[in-house]
Formats: sequence, structure tokens, C-alpha cells
Amino acid sequence: MKSGRRLSSKSRTYLGMLIPVVILFFAFNTLPLIIGAFYSFTNYRGYGSWDFVGLRNYFDLFTDSRVWNSYLFTFKYAIVGTILVNVISLLMGLALNSKIRFKSTLRGIYFVPNILGGLIVGYIFSFIFTYIIPAVGETFNIEWIQNSILADERFAWIGVLIVGVWQAVAMNTIIYISGLQTIPEDVYEASRIDGAGKFLTFRKITLPLLMPFISINLVLSTKNMLMVFDQIMSLTKGGPAQSTESISYLIYRNGMDGGQFGFQSANAVIFFILIVTISVIQMRMTGKKEEQL
Amino acid sequence: MRRLKRKQGTNWFLTFVLILGCLTVLFPLYMTVIIAFKNPSEMTNDVAGALAPPSNWSFDNFAEAMKVTNFWSALANSLFISGITIVLSVLIHSIAGYVIGRNMRRKKGYKLVYFYIVSGMFVPFAILMMPLVKETAQIGLANPIGVILLYLVFYMPMNVMLYSGYLKNIPLAMEEAAEIDGASTWKTYWTVIFPMMKPMHATVAVLTALGTWNDVMTPLVIMSGSENTTLPLAQLNFQTQFGTNYNLAFASYLLSLIPILIFYVVCQKQIIGGVANGAVKG
Amino acid sequence: MRKTKKLLSSFLIVAMLSSLMLSGCNSEGTDKIEVELVQYKPEAVAAFEKIEEGFNNTHDNIHLTIQSPNEAMTILKTRFIREDYPDIVGIGGDINYSNFLDADMFMDISDFEGVSDIKQAYMDIEDELEFIPTDGVFALPYVANASGILYNKDMFEENGWKIPQTWTEFTELCETIRASGVQPLYFGYKDTWTCLAPWNALAVGLSPSDTCAQVNAGKTTFSKEYRETAEKIKTLLDYCEPNPYAYGYNDACTAFARGQAAMYPIGSYAVPQIKSVNPDMNIDSFVFPANDDEKDNVLNSGVDLQFCVMKNSKNKEAVYEVLRYLYEDETIQIYLDVQNSIPCKNGDFKLPSMLDGMKSYIEEGRMADYQDHHYPSEMSVDAMIQTYLMDNSSDATDKFLKRFDDEWVRYNRDLIQKVQDYEKEAKK
Repeated sequence: MKSGRRLSSKSRTYLGMLIPVVILFFAFNTLPLIIGAFYSFTNYRGYGSWDFVGLRNYFDLFTDSRVWNSYLFTFKYAIVGTILVNVISLLMGLALNSKIRFKSTLRGIYFVPNILGGLIVGYIFSFIFTYIIPAVGETFNIEWIQNSILADERFAWIGVLIVGVWQAVAMNTIIYISGLQTIPEDVYEASRIDGAGKFLTFRKITLPLLMPFISINLVLSTKNMLMVFDQIMSLTKGGPAQSTESISYLIYRNGMDGGQFGFQSANAVIFFILIVTISVIQMRMTGKKEEQL
Repeated sequence: MRRLKRKQGTNWFLTFVLILGCLTVLFPLYMTVIIAFKNPSEMTNDVAGALAPPSNWSFDNFAEAMKVTNFWSALANSLFISGITIVLSVLIHSIAGYVIGRNMRRKKGYKLVYFYIVSGMFVPFAILMMPLVKETAQIGLANPIGVILLYLVFYMPMNVMLYSGYLKNIPLAMEEAAEIDGASTWKTYWTVIFPMMKPMHATVAVLTALGTWNDVMTPLVIMSGSENTTLPLAQLNFQTQFGTNYNLAFASYLLSLIPILIFYVVCQKQIIGGVANGAVKG
Repeated sequence: MRKTKKLLSSFLIVAMLSSLMLSGCNSEGTDKIEVELVQYKPEAVAAFEKIEEGFNNTHDNIHLTIQSPNEAMTILKTRFIREDYPDIVGIGGDINYSNFLDADMFMDISDFEGVSDIKQAYMDIEDELEFIPTDGVFALPYVANASGILYNKDMFEENGWKIPQTWTEFTELCETIRASGVQPLYFGYKDTWTCLAPWNALAVGLSPSDTCAQVNAGKTTFSKEYRETAEKIKTLLDYCEPNPYAYGYNDACTAFARGQAAMYPIGSYAVPQIKSVNPDMNIDSFVFPANDDEKDNVLNSGVDLQFCVMKNSKNKEAVYEVLRYLYEDETIQIYLDVQNSIPCKNGDFKLPSMLDGMKSYIEEGRMADYQDHHYPSEMSVDAMIQTYLMDNSSDATDKFLKRFDDEWVRYNRDLIQKVQDYEKEAKK
């Protein structure tokens, strides 16, 4: 009896803590989303009058080759990007967390890419890709880098990817570092006393204990990579020959700047459902791994 | 009960590799710095010329950039918005993350709330923007407070995910001990759990700061037309439709980079030190 | 715990106080009529500050506020969503204007006496920007810019090169320049919007100015009207730097400023950026010789800044007073001193020197608007042109023109419907 009442008071505290947060979230995320989704059934331009167009926007989505291309590009980019970012940032996290000199300075330096604004990133990397790398190619007679990678419709996405990964690693590294901090020192010691090698320790101790953070990082980097926008804006603006138009870029550019708010809202709704599905699958998969521990 | 220090020395090889890797950051940074010091007439497409240091290292660009952006006032606004967002994020999101993280394994409802909030992260901002502009204006929040509230909502999914993920590595035993001593859930949270999540607070603070400090879009559309410009908004001054003053812009960007870099270094100290040290033995 | 609570409450207090402060700022106790003007060219802020000051010093009963925000179009759109309208907006004469007008946001100002002082050519351009012919005047052109070819005057004089009058002369000139070891043209096609500069300059000479309206009415196709433009813009690639898709607008401006090319097909708006790199450069311009008969050539010029009165504005008289002041010759001169522009008002103004080569066209009114002012921005015609230029297959032109026609219908479906309904009505 007594314990039952205590539990319910505990639950009440929990609910009291959570409900205001959920209300706030609903008001500024779900509500506008519903309103936006509503406009996906109209030809609203973002101002002025509008008409209902039924499901026309959704049908148009499936027949629009530009939209299809943007999905192809975005997924190609996100899959390669997510793998690269996580491998590199896990290695960086381990390295920056080990017994090295100048730890703070190094961590500070590797953090910088993430805070450089779009204008700087766009200018510097355009310059590197357009002038410096081709100049290197000419000096050493390496043919395949003599043309700017950003001007080649087959490879421009790789140029964007390099910059995207370069910027994204910093954030995921921070999360890995803080994850590594949760692993108590004595676990490592025990493993060392048992005579386990470095690789075995990593596989049997570090990796499993890091699983929640790998899971978070996977979801976050998949999301960030799927929503790639800043790098496109600053490096290619969707070019060359419309080969790097990402979904977010289309939604923003045509929905906000252009007069396609209704149509791009439909695009956003579909895109939202798609990413949520992917992330749920991802979380399920990594969740299972976590439970196996 | 101090543990013995490990008897392993510095890993010089790794240090060397990491220093070498820094070049990928330092080279672009070098270019940024020299452009920030150059005159527009020193700009060139010639590689050697572009990599050459400026003819004289004067701080004129920085002074000019500060004047154009009304630096101190814009900095104050940026600090106000980011600062309050960070503090409130750490306080509010950690509670939400704690409640959800502790209950989602046993109760379906909490798990649902978890997925509900986390899924909010995937909503493209462009679809929210127009409805939000209208909503904030209607309730009188077309100002910095509105921007802060929106940030709290935008970063909630990521932060809740981080906090509840971190919680998995904090043993339940800690709270149970406190509760047996008769402390309320509320009190247990603030006295036991909140301090233990310190490294995650630092991480959340850094990531939230990263997102808010450089953000142009939210303040632009929410506070449009008001005088309270933030630094990134003021920096739009350097880009017009048909011309960009890269020299002033880069100087200005470098200036605005400093506060957040300092903040990061400070937070790093909080992340290091680890949570679980001593905690498990309790 | 107490510490945290204290922290929390103190932050809440700060937040509340500052919101109070912010809302308190607006209460200014004056009985003057407030007129607010938002204009979209932040680069002209210096001129508008002067104008604002001048107006307020000479008017006791009206207070004018001029805003020159960055990203003004985004800000305007969000203010419209909020239904927080200024009295006057200064925007460009482009598709945004057409859309706003179509959404019925502007006031008819045909009873404003200054309308008759505006050059007819620009008033015609404004008329063509209306999706559906509307009675009344909704926009008052202020200044225009022009696009054609900028050239390095010193380089031309040293080599004795002559300004070409026809397309044949132009290609011959390009050959001559190249033979002398100089790059004739430079493009910044990495920034897709720059593809539109030569496109527009060619199209005004080669197709009627109301092409888009004609297509909407179902009277012609782009395949017919744009073929020559499409072929000629591709010919230009023979004379520019290799791989122009690697270089952006800024690169092209810098290259031209550094004398790496003799000519740069772009608008007069690029001059400040070029001069920032090379302040002493001697730049002049000429009209794009798109035709083989000089008489058919037309200058590409469009309204860079125009003023529209919002329908919701309550103080029509005060607004007109502001317009009167804005269109005084001295006020226009303040603007011209800061920006290299062509005034739209009749009168004796000093034109910037880099427009010398275009002067006779401007005086005769031989000009037509940028074709892209009629393209919906979401159709991304600039990117389509870039795609076309990069396409080396033999049927590239056909594919491009067909795509142009197809996509046009797709992106303008509602508009075409509207226009054709209107035509039907008109016939009845």
C-alpha cells in the first residue's frame, strides 16, 4: 500500500516535469508542422490568396524528375557521408582521448571547421578546388585533378562531401569524447590485467560501452547528412548542371525564395516521413545491439 | 580511494599524427586570416598571390568590420540569445531527457514521447518557417524571446536524445540510494543526477551553442525588421546581390569565432574528468 | 540545488524584463504621421540615409523611416505573412513584383502627378510585368540597370579594337583578340545566375519582349522564339576561358579586373565589384550585338528599383508627399552619386561613365526588359541554361528548348490557366 502510493507520487512528479516540455514542443514544432502540411494541399505561394488543389502536389512530386534527382543525390551523399563521418570521428575521439600531448589545443583546432560560417567555407574551398588542386595537378602532371572537381557534374558531389565531412566530424567527435568519459578507468585496467591487447579491449570493452553514443551519432549524422543544405548553398548552389541539388536545398529555394510553398510542403512532408522511418529502423538496429550487452 | 596513475607515457606517435592532421584545418584557417587582413585590391585568382601574406598587417579591416556590424551591440544580442538558450537547454532538456530515459524502458507511453520528440529533429525548417512567423507574431513573440523559445524547441530532440542516452551509463543504484534516504524525486534529480551529468551538460552546451551562434535564418525571419540584430545577421551587410566584400566579411567572421572558441575550450575542461569515476563504487 | 533554482529564476526574470523593455521601445509620443519605406538594396543605404534625413528636415508633419535591411525580400515576405505592412516598398521590377501585384497587395497610384515624368520605355516594361493586363499604375520606376558587355577600355584603345555593331563583327573581334593572345571573354558560370546575363542580353535582341506572355496565351513556343538565343550563347563558349563552370561571379570579376580578359558579358551592376579589385580600371560598355543588322539590336535594361505603395497604407497623402520628394531631381541625384544607375525619370542627369557606350540606346528608349524577370524563380532557368551549356551532345539545343517548353507549362500551370481564362473573357 505504502509503496504503491509512493510510486504514484513519483510518477506524478515525472509527469509534472515532462508535460510542460511536451506542450512547448507541440506548440512550436508539431503545430506549425500541421499547418505546413495543410498547405501541401494548396497552391499557396507564401503570401496572397490560395486554392485547394487536392493531392495534385503529391502526384506532381512523383513525376518531377528534379525531385527524383534530388532524392538520388541526397541519399548517395548521406550514405557515404554517414559512414565516413562516424569512422573518422570515432577514430578522432579515441585519439583525442588518449595519452597525447597538447590535448586541449588539438581538440580546439579540430573543433574550428564546425564554427566557420558558410561564406568562409564556400570561398576557401571553392578556391582550393578551383585553383590550388588543379595547380598541384599541373605541377606534378596528375591529370585527373587538373580540372575543378566542383565543375564536373559526375564528381561535384564528392567535392561537397569532402567539405561536409570536414565540418561534421567535429560535432560527432565531441559526442564520442563525452561517451568515452563514461567508461570507467578500472574497466580498462581489469582488461589489461587479463592481458587483453589493445584491439581486443576496444572490441570487447570500448565498443559495447560506447554503443548508446554510436547509436546517437548515427542518427544525428544521418539526419545532418540527409538534410545537407549549407554546403550546397556555399559551394555549388545545386550546380553544375543541377547535379548537387539536395532535397533541403530544393525545399528551401523553391518553397521560400520561389513561389512553390505548397508543392515544397508536400515534398517536406514526404521527406519527413522518410527520414523518420529510416531513423526508427536505425534506432531499432542499434537498440538491439545495446540490449545484447 | 585513489586509483594509481597509469604508468603509460605520452603516445608521441599519435600526437604527431594528430598535429599533422591539423593541417587540414590550419591551411583553410591561414587563408581566412590572410584574407581578413588584405585589401580588396590585393585579391587575386593567382595561387601564389592568394597564398601570400598581406602587404601589411593592419587591423583596419577589423575596425571597419566592427563599425559596419555595430559589433558590440550585435555581440550583446548574440550573447543574450545564445547564452539564455544554452542555460535553459541544459536545465529543461536534461529534465526531459532524465524523465524519458528512466521510464522509456518500462513504460510504452514514455517511449512514445521519446520518439515523438526525437522525430521533431527531422522536420525540414523550411516547412515550419512560415507558420512559425505567423504564430510568433500573433502571440507577441516576434523578438529575441521568441527566438530563444524556438531554439529550445529546435534543439530539444537532439539534447533529449543525448541526455537519455547518457543516462544509460549512469547506474540506477545512485537514485535508489537517495530515495531510500527519503529524498523526493525532484530533489534526487537535482542533487544526485544533475551533477553527475556534468560532461553531458558541457556537450549539450557546446552543440547548442554551435547551432545558435551562427544561425541566420531563425532571427532573420522571426525578428525581421527589428533593431536587435545578431552578429550573423549584421554580417549579411558584407554580401549584397552583386558583390561581396570578402575582406571585411572574413575579419568579422574571425571576430565572432573567438567567443565560441573560448566557450568550447572551457566546456572541454568539463567534459574531461569523466562521470563514472567513483560513481559506480557508491 | 538551491543554486540551480536561483539561476533558473534569475534567468527567467532577465528574460521577462528584456521582453518588457523591447515592447516598451515602440511607444514614441508624436502626432506626426509615420511613413515607413522598406527598400531592398542594402548597398544603397548611404544614399537612403541622406534622403531620409533630408525629408525629415523639410517636413514637420510627416516622419519618414527608411529601412534598408539585408535579405530584404525574405524580410518583406515574412512581414506580409505577419500582416505587418510598410507604407512604401522599394523593390526590383521582376517576378516578385508580378507576384505581389497578382496577390493584390499594391495601391493604384495613377493619380500621382509624378507618373507622367517617368520615361515611357520603363512604364511599358512595368506594364509587361503584369501577368494579366491591369488598369492603373502600381509601380513607379526609380532607377534602372543595363546589361550587355563590359570591356577594358585601355586594352581596346592600345590594340585599336573597334566596338562591334553586329554579331558577325563581334565574333570577328573575338577572333582578333584571341589571335593577339588575350582571352576575349570571361564567364563565371559556376554561379548559375550569371548564365542569365548573356542570355538576357541576347534574347532581348532576338525575340519579342513579351515572349513569355505570348507563350502563356498559347500563341507561340519557346522552341521557336529562343532557338537563335540558345545557339548564340553556346557559340560564346568558343571565346571564353576553358571550363567556365569552375569559376564563379567573383572569380570572373577579379579576372576581368586583372586584365585576364578583354570583355565580360555582364550587367552594369558588376562594376563596383570589379573596381574593388582594381579601382583605377577604365571600364566602358556596349550593347550586345545580337543581330546582323545593327538596327535590330536592343539594349537590355530593366528596373532595378521601383516604389510601390501598399494597399493597406492609410496615409495616401503623406505617402504621395514622400514620393514627390523621392522623385525630385536633387533626390535622384543623391542616389545616382552613390550607385551607378540609369534614372528612370526624364531629365538631365549625369550618367555614369561606364554606360557611355549605351547612351544613345538609353536616350532613344531602344531597350527591353530582362527576359528572366518573367521566369518563375523556382523553375531555375539559370541552372537549365548551365546544364545546356555543359551538354556537348549534338541535339543539345533541341533537348534544351523542349525542356524549356515542358517545364514552363509545369511551373506556370495556374498562371496559364488564369491568362487563358482572361483571354476568353476578353473575347466575349
